[in-house]
Amino acid sequence: MKKMKWFASTVLAGAMIATLVVTAGCSQKETLNLYSWADNFDPDVIKDFEKKYDVTVNYAVFANNEDLLAKLKAGGSKYDVIQPSDYMVATMIQQDLLEPLNKDNIPNWNNISSHFKNLPYDKDNKYSIVYTSGVTGIAYNKKYVKGEITSWSDLWKPEFKDKVLLLDDMREVIGMGLKKNGFSNSSTNENEIKKSVDDIKQLLPSVLAFDTDNIKQKLIAEEGWIGTVWSGDAAYIAAQNPDIAYVIPKEGSTIFSDNYAIPKGAKNKDLAEKFINFMLDPEVSAKNYESIGYSDPNEKAKPFHSPEYQANKMINLSNDEFARTEWLMDVGKTLQVYDRYWTEIKSGRE
Amino acid sequence: MKKTKWLISPVVLWLSLFLILPMAIVVVISFLGRDEFGNLVIQFSLDNYARFFDSLYLGIYWDTIALSVLTTLICVLISYPLAYYIANAGPTRQKIWLLFITVPFWINFLIRTYAWVLLLRSQGVVNSFLMDIGIIDEPLKMLYTKGAVLLGMVYTFIPYMVLPIYVSLEQMDRKLLEAASDLGASRWRAFWHITLPQTKSGMMTGSVLVFVSTAGMYVVTDILGGSKSTMLSNIIQTQFLGARDWPFGAALSVIFAITSLVLIYLFNMALRSRHERSKEGRA
Repeated sequence: MKKMKWFASTVLAGAMIATLVVTAGCSQKETLNLYSWADNFDPDVIKDFEKKYDVTVNYAVFANNEDLLAKLKAGGSKYDVIQPSDYMVATMIQQDLLEPLNKDNIPNWNNISSHFKNLPYDKDNKYSIVYTSGVTGIAYNKKYVKGEITSWSDLWKPEFKDKVLLLDDMREVIGMGLKKNGFSNSSTNENEIKKSVDDIKQLLPSVLAFDTDNIKQKLIAEEGWIGTVWSGDAAYIAAQNPDIAYVIPKEGSTIFSDNYAIPKGAKNKDLAEKFINFMLDPEVSAKNYESIGYSDPNEKAKPFHSPEYQANKMINLSNDEFARTEWLMDVGKTLQVYDRYWTEIKSGRE
Repeated sequence: MKKTKWLISPVVLWLSLFLILPMAIVVVISFLGRDEFGNLVIQFSLDNYARFFDSLYLGIYWDTIALSVLTTLICVLISYPLAYYIANAGPTRQKIWLLFITVPFWINFLIRTYAWVLLLRSQGVVNSFLMDIGIIDEPLKMLYTKGAVLLGMVYTFIPYMVLPIYVSLEQMDRKLLEAASDLGASRWRAFWHITLPQTKSGMMTGSVLVFVSTAGMYVVTDILGGSKSTMLSNIIQTQFLGARDWPFGAALSVIFAITSLVLIYLFNMALRSRHERSKEGRA
């Protein structure tokens, strides 16, 4: 009898979970499962796509590439379109997690500027198409920062004590140290890494905070005077606080991108390719990027963009600035070296 | 008794599915290896535990324990008088005070923590006020310091301390206090010999709750500490994400869980021996 009761309650609990799962997946229309960063699309553009193809777009968000990777490894067929960053595309290709793209279904691919085709992390664009890109530079407040900022080493100036903000990101911070010393931002040479980390430790007393998500607010509210900021965020900050200037340091910096890709085993590959093609339409992409304020790699979209958007130097970098940027590469085994140094930097211990 | 035993089966099922099973998986992973992409490699290895004994991680472990102990002590010092006051107030007042203690729980924890940022930052409410009335000329550096982290922890976990102490004060046998006063004991002496020993269990429960929660909290160190004071829980998070080293992260989680269990065991032992001693004393 006791066993029966046990059994009954187990079945009951199981039935409740099953009900939840079944009702969650219930819908007649075809569904595109989009998995991306928060606020990465103009909601109106998504609605236009839903109307045009009479489908439902299910937009789920992740907070970082590692979350995305973990979800895909746990069974990625839940999603049709994902948006990994550059180095993560390379990792996913190596791990055989991506479906090759059928370019015949994505003719609008040709609209992409040649700067953003055949990038080092996916040389023939077999698995990915760029969505947006940006660089890491220095944003500073002209009210407090006198003189021109041109180099990473300017952050080390003693007058910025307690006013420097750094991205809370291992590769960005150590990569900055590497760039300052003239090395590659993806160096796997332990001497180069050590030299750069020693440099960063000298900077620590000046650091107000490490922050990625809210570094914008810290600069807008003038808590910090100077810091490492992604170009898209810099555009946002400058719109809120007109004293903010932005520079890509002369030693060069990191360039990054978000991309479209289709995970292996996606249930709706056709619709996924339709979506990518739709988003690459010149008018659609102009509307989308004007709304989200990121850089638009779509060359054919230029005539549809507003003069303000085109004149914004933080969204549209010059060729000179692009020329001194470098993509982050997966550092393989050396990641452990980076991780240890990062723990030292963040904890102030050795 | 036997007939109603099946009532606990949902809880048993819940715990085994969502606590015991995941914990077992964490323990298993902590003995495995990883490849450079972070894929688990099936092998038996103690390396992940050996790595913990590096001075870097031991130092962070020590920082974590020190901050948690300090938070717990401050919480006791603030909460005890408050709980004592509430327990001795009239019934209506008690209800109002308890409401005040629990109201913060209705507001999202992140919002409450960001509210501290607005108060403490250099252009924040506190600094502007002090500068307006002329007490200071330059803003004080309050935010993104270890002090701000401690403040945030104490603020967050005070209710966890007040409520158990209040409950133990409520359940206390008040006749003993009357007896003490009849026998000529001062109020302070009665408090020291009767109230304090009888509310020890409440303090202990509160201390375990506060200690374990503080040690596992990493949001406060990020938001109020500017991510500059790393705790063990921050390292565990990094290992599972950026560093792609699940086995090491799992080993740290196991060490953390064992630390908490040992601590709870020690608290229980301390309580039990006190009970036994008091029984012996009576006999």
